[in-house]
Amino acid sequence: MHLTQKLELFPDHSVTQILFKDVKNAAELRQSAVEGKINGALINPTMLVGPFQVLVAANKAVHLQKTGKMKTRSLYSEIIFNLSPNNNISEAFKRFGISDGDDSVMVVLVHNQDESQLLSDVTNKVNGRQVPVEDVSSLSDAAKIKKLYKVTPQEEVCGTLLDAVVCRMATKDVM
Amino acid sequence: MAQKSCTPELLSGAELMKQGAEARLYRTRFLGKPTVVKQRFPKRYRHPVLDEKLTHRRTTQEVRSILRCRKAGISAPVVYFVDYASHCIFLEDIVSSSTVRDYIASCPDQDQDLDLLVQKVGRILARMHDEDVIHGDLTTSNMLLRLHPDGTKPRHEPDLVLIDFGLSYISALPEDKGVDLYVLEKAFLSTHPNTEALFQTLLHSYTAASNKSNAVIKKLDEVRLRGRKRSMVG
Ligand SMILES: Nc1ncnc2c1ncn2[C@@H]1O[C@H](COP(=O)(O)OP(=O)(O)OP(=O)(O)O)[C@@H](O)[C@H]1O
Ligand SMILES: [Mg+2]
Repeated sequence: MHLTQKLELFPDHSVTQILFKDVKNAAELRQSAVEGKINGALINPTMLVGPFQVLVAANKAVHLQKTGKMKTRSLYSEIIFNLSPNNNISEAFKRFGISDGDDSVMVVLVHNQDESQLLSDVTNKVNGRQVPVEDVSSLSDAAKIKKLYKVTPQEEVCGTLLDAVVCRMATKDVM
Repeated sequence: MAQKSCTPELLSGAELMKQGAEARLYRTRFLGKPTVVKQRFPKRYRHPVLDEKLTHRRTTQEVRSILRCRKAGISAPVVYFVDYASHCIFLEDIVSSSTVRDYIASCPDQDQDLDLLVQKVGRILARMHDEDVIHGDLTTSNMLLRLHPDGTKPRHEPDLVLIDFGLSYISALPEDKGVDLYVLEKAFLSTHPNTEALFQTLLHSYTAASNKSNAVIKKLDEVRLRGRKRSMVG
C-alpha cells in the first residue's frame, strides 16, 4: 500500500510515502513532528496532485542537503518547503504541513535500505486507516491547488495539473 | 559539510544522446520517469568566472522561458529538477517524437501534411512572440513533433513542442521578433532545400495568428535587406 522509490541521483536513498485516512490524532502527530519525535514529513494530502510531486520535493531536498544549500532546518521541513510555489517558509508549512483538525495525512520518509522498521514505527503512531498511496489523487483539492500555484486553464491544454505544479516547484528559485 | 553535486555520477552511467557545442544531452530514468538531462559544460577558452556566469544564465533562461511558454499554453518539456551546481536541467523526455527537421526531411515534397505542419509552427511562434518570448535559436531541430506510437502522422496542436531555450529572452520589440524569424528563415532554407514556398506558408500563418505581426514582418523585411546588402558588399 505504501510506495517506495529509489532516488536515482542518490542510490543509497529511497523515499517512502504512506497515506492515511480517517486520522483521529492529527494534533498529536503535528506536535510530535514539531518536537522531532517523528522521523518523517507530515503532509496535507489535499494539496497533492500525486505521488510524483512528493518525489520531486524529496529529491530536491536531498540534493540541497548534500550541497549545503537547504533553506530550512531539516530534511523533512525542506521537503514541505519545496512543495510550495513561493519562498515563504511559514506559509509553506501552513499550506502543505498538517493542521490539528485534518483527517488525512501523507507521511514521507527518506531512508537508506529497508523501510520495514520505520514503516511500523509510523503506522503505530498514526491513529487512522492506511490506504493505497495512489488514492491521494481522490483527496486532492484541485481548485485550491490551481489557485495557490496560479495555474491557468490554457496551461492545462498543453499538460496536466501535475506537470504545471512540478514545473513551478522545480524552477521557483529563479522566478 | 557541503559536498559536490551527485549529477555527474548519474550521468556517467547514462546514455549520451547528443554532444553539442554547449551542452551534452543524456537519457536516463529519474524518479521512475524517462528523462532527458541537458548538461552545459565549461568552455575552456573563456575566463572561468565569466564562463560560470554565462552558463548559469543560459540554464536559468532556459527554465524561465519553458515555464513562461507553458503558462501560455505553448508546449515545452516539463522541468523536473534543476541542478545549478553542475548546470543540469532534468526534462521530460518527449518520447516517440521527431525533430521537425527530421520529419520534413522524411516527407515527400509537396506533401499536404507539410503545409499543415508549418502552419502549426507559424501559429505557435506567433503565440510565443505575443508572450514576448524571443527564442534566440529558432531552427527546425529545436522543435519536436509528438508522433502516434504506431505511425508518423502528427496529431493536434499541443504536439508541437518547443525546446532549447538557452538563448531566449523577454522582449516586446518587433525588431527582436523579426530577427528571431530571420534566424529561422536562414536555418530553414539552408536545412531544407527548395522550401521557399513552404516557408512563405509558415510566415502567412504567423501573420494571421499574431496580433502584432505587421510591425514584426516589416522588421523582418528590413533585416533581410540588411543581410542582402552586407553579402553584396562583403
Ligand atoms: N526533452 C526532450 N525530449 C526528447 N528529445 C530531446 C529533448 N530535448 C532535446 N532533445 C533532443 O536533443 C537534441 C538537442 O537538444 P537541444 O536543442 O536542447 O540541445 P543543443 O542544441 O545541444 O543545445 P545548445 O544550443 O545549448 O548547444 C534535440 O534536437 C532533440 O533531438
Ligand atoms: Mg538545439
